[in-house]
Amino acid sequence: MDIRVLQPSDIPHVQLANITNLPENYFCKYYLYHALSWPQLSYVAVDLSHSSGSPGEPPKIVGYVLAKMEEEPTDGVQHGHITSLSVMRTHRRLGLAEKLMRQSQKAMVEAFGAKYVSLHVRVSNKAALHLYRDTLQFEVDKVEDKYYADGENAYSMRKDLTFLEEVESESEGEGEGKAEDVGIDGDVPKGGEKKKKKSGMKKFKLGRALGVADLQEVDGRAA
Amino acid sequence: MPQAPLASKDGSLFRQVLKCYETKQYKKGLKAAEQILRKNPKHGETLAMKGLITNSLGRTEEAFAIAKEALRHDMKSHVCWHVYGLLYRSEKNFEESIKAYKMALRFEPESQQILRDLALLQVQMRDYPGYVESRGKILQGRPQLRQNWTGLAVAYHLAGSYAEAENVLKKYEETLKNPPSKGDIEHSEACLYRNVVIAESGDIARALEHLESIAKVSLDKISVMEYRADYLLRLDRKEEAEKAYRALLERNSEKRQYYNGLEQSIGIDPEDRKPMKAIYDEFAEKNPRSDAPRRIPLDFLEGEDFKQAADVYLQKLLKKGVPSTFANIKALYAGTAKRETILELVEGYLASMGTEEAPTNGETNGNKPKPSDFKLWTLYFLTQHYDHYRTRNTTKASEYLNRALELSPGTVELHMTQARIYKHSGDLQKAMEKMNQARELDTKDRYINTKCAKYQLRNDRNEDALKTMSLFTRFLTKRNGVKNDAHGGPLGDLLEMQCVWFITEDGESYLRQGNLGLALKRFHAMLKIFDDWTEDQFDFHSFSLRKGQIRAYVTMLRWEDTLRSHPFFVRAALGAIKVYTMLHDRPHLAHSLLSNGNGEGPDFEGMSPADRKKALKKAKREQQKAQDKAAELAAKAKEDKAKNAQVASADGEMKKEDTDPLGISLAQTKEPLEVAMKFLTPLLELSSKRVEVQCAGFDVYLRRKKWLLALKCLIAAREIEKENPVVHEQTIRFRRAVDSLAEEDVKEPSREVLTAELETILPKETDLKSYNEEFLNSHKDSPQHVRGALRARHLLSPEDANIAGELANTLSLAHLSLKEAIEGQTLLKDLKADNKDYNQKASEKFPDAAAFQTAA
Repeated sequence: MDIRVLQPSDIPHVQLANITNLPENYFCKYYLYHALSWPQLSYVAVDLSHSSGSPGEPPKIVGYVLAKMEEEPTDGVQHGHITSLSVMRTHRRLGLAEKLMRQSQKAMVEAFGAKYVSLHVRVSNKAALHLYRDTLQFEVDKVEDKYYADGENAYSMRKDLTFLEEVESESEGEGEGKAEDVGIDGDVPKGGEKKKKKSGMKKFKLGRALGVADLQEVDGRAA
Repeated sequence: MPQAPLASKDGSLFRQVLKCYETKQYKKGLKAAEQILRKNPKHGETLAMKGLITNSLGRTEEAFAIAKEALRHDMKSHVCWHVYGLLYRSEKNFEESIKAYKMALRFEPESQQILRDLALLQVQMRDYPGYVESRGKILQGRPQLRQNWTGLAVAYHLAGSYAEAENVLKKYEETLKNPPSKGDIEHSEACLYRNVVIAESGDIARALEHLESIAKVSLDKISVMEYRADYLLRLDRKEEAEKAYRALLERNSEKRQYYNGLEQSIGIDPEDRKPMKAIYDEFAEKNPRSDAPRRIPLDFLEGEDFKQAADVYLQKLLKKGVPSTFANIKALYAGTAKRETILELVEGYLASMGTEEAPTNGETNGNKPKPSDFKLWTLYFLTQHYDHYRTRNTTKASEYLNRALELSPGTVELHMTQARIYKHSGDLQKAMEKMNQARELDTKDRYINTKCAKYQLRNDRNEDALKTMSLFTRFLTKRNGVKNDAHGGPLGDLLEMQCVWFITEDGESYLRQGNLGLALKRFHAMLKIFDDWTEDQFDFHSFSLRKGQIRAYVTMLRWEDTLRSHPFFVRAALGAIKVYTMLHDRPHLAHSLLSNGNGEGPDFEGMSPADRKKALKKAKREQQKAQDKAAELAAKAKEDKAKNAQVASADGEMKKEDTDPLGISLAQTKEPLEVAMKFLTPLLELSSKRVEVQCAGFDVYLRRKKWLLALKCLIAAREIEKENPVVHEQTIRFRRAVDSLAEEDVKEPSREVLTAELETILPKETDLKSYNEEFLNSHKDSPQHVRGALRARHLLSPEDANIAGELANTLSLAHLSLKEAIEGQTLLKDLKADNKDYNQKASEKFPDAAAFQTAA
């Protein structure tokens, strides 16, 4: 198993891992948007035993963390956000989720000056909650009402990252993670989230034809 | 002559039209345009804008007509040409669009807007010289923006002009009066991008020097460390390289590339890596939770050293209760000695455990694992060992699995593996049922849900599979109290979310069942997904220059260039090509009733002409029924959509109605081989080193009577794998085809090339029959080669081929896999040979395999 930064060429298999594991899914362009906006932040776990060694063969991704920086932080504080994190059921308890997160968080601080990192998790997802709270030291910030498409609430969790600023190089924790490191969480596709806040109506903005600009920011280009 | 300007009132109205278009107030804009046109019906630019807005409202044909009329009235207006180009762009006809933009630029050479639109298309179409030119003009117009400098540098870089690219980046840096602030990511990335350009130009020494000069301002610390280590190694500065790789491993001890770099900088002989063991141990000690430094030595250690290291490794994982232990080591199974050692070790653990109580008493003893946990995962490991294709012993696998199930009946992994064992024995029905039971143990887990759907597809239960998938797709869930099928239900959702595995498996399943329409439907969906992935890059040409993450952008472009070499594409494309060649050879297969996919339908080819006519008529009637039903469903969906107009319009995408949901018109194409080219062309371009691709190319070109192109594929295939059985059969097939060519079929000079080249492959006077028998004899032990030779034998003498008898011999081969046995069965079906004996014998060898039972 290799842990390394996500490359654009990994996207088809990351997408495959995501739709295999999680109910919140995204089209390729949304992954590209992450990979091309914050290329330092997303990581993959690669199973090397599947490789036949033939050149150009795409890697088999068994886990990934898809991460971003919050573009317009409401609190004005630079912070990262975990859009989606998952590990294939066949590759659990190897500590992959934690290793992926560790790399991502360090890069958030170094490259983008993140002060903390946030994420959403289904209130019913005990295993993921356990991973985030007990293994990865996240804290529940608040409950977001009906965050998910099916009406379920989400815990909004966060973890302070200022401790990484001083440390030159972080040594690995000794604690044996007993956690079932399932690492299961996926954001609802962007747009749904925003719309909801404004109108209280659950509209879902999907469709790749929207363009990257609509995915995140106002296109600065004008005729 | 340009048209006279509008009167001032109309002029301001025209500006309003522009504004409405930009703010997407199309109806309002259209009204204003029409108001102008009432007074000035021949005003070209207003007409052009009307056309543009009409297109945005989804009326493309009308829009083109209006835009053409606009041009007729005002040929020299850049607005009219620009609009014309935009219409083509929205149609994705980029070539025509580029032409129109260039015309627009003739009349307005300085327009930043048109230059930008042109540049975007040029880079999308990989017209790098053109891109350099446009980017140069854009920079001249607006040199104050950093992104315009970067844009020109990227253009040079892509065009392979490293020195120019670097020069542009450098020039901009020199204009900076004050050093950018410390957290300026755009600056940091621009510097690193410049460094990559230097390195790619081949001047590693200067790249290193430059890297040291920017290391402080670079925010991407890992990239700096990785580049540095790489440069040092390439410059043979080994001691420093070693330090650099050690530093990288301090940050991430789970990356093979770093260990490779470390080994190289230490000067480890790749043939004798044993001295590295001590170094891996060092990292293992420093990083108690790291896998890599423990796992990698297992690759190169041998004998007693291997046994010791493997023992430590396996015990650590199994005691921790890691279900994926087997997945972690199975790559070692390629070597007999290692897999025997592993088995011996793990069986030893089990033997030393003896029997304990079941884990139900729930005792916890601190940090120590419960002995029963260790036992559970050891049993699970042994199950997987005996289910692995190199060491398969289904009986033993089941034994271990049952013992594990006694310990822990509720563990989903065990049930999943049981389903897998059934699958490997060929009992697809039981495999599917078992996987569904596993799913029911954990209905909230999508992974197991996915597996279940996959097993259903393997068993050709397409509707069940979709139903399973729908438990996790969005559009069957109730929203706003309305069940929303607006996107074509779960299938629509899977298509939209680009769920490639499902689409491919679904298509392959329909192909197995002889439903070629739906098979094509799915393979075309894959084609569309890859087209979308190509198109996805479009927005990033401008987005990435604004964001400043240039290295990632360039990496993305290079990936997009070879996108269709991805196995996901290759697999679907080969499936589609197979269907199209079948449709070419036997057009009646377009009617799934007549395709005899599962061997249950009528034998169309064996019928009398009158019966054929009747059967065809009946098939058409059935197909019409199916089509009507689908249309009805579609109409209902449309109705629902209207009810949920709010939701639908929020999607922002105009959904075109699917008029052929069953793929019936796809299958009834009059020119299957021409359509097949859509799949074949990217394969031949990007995956030319795969023998199956060249074989598919041969299949299509031979049927299209493109003799030289078929020859080219044949030569390429022989270069990759001369003894490949399909290539062997194709060679004979080609010899025969060429021998029977009439004078007028191939003209000189092609004829001469064809004759001469083929002569070197398979001389004309060769006795094909004995050539083929020789091939058969020298590959008697390989089932796939036997099949290839038998196909050729059938081709050469269809009457006395004795295919069945010869093929049955392969069933005695000890290493014959179930998959190969089934392919043998398929061959007999294809050649319409008697398969009774074969099935009988095969079912003795594979007693649980459904394939041989139903047919027997």
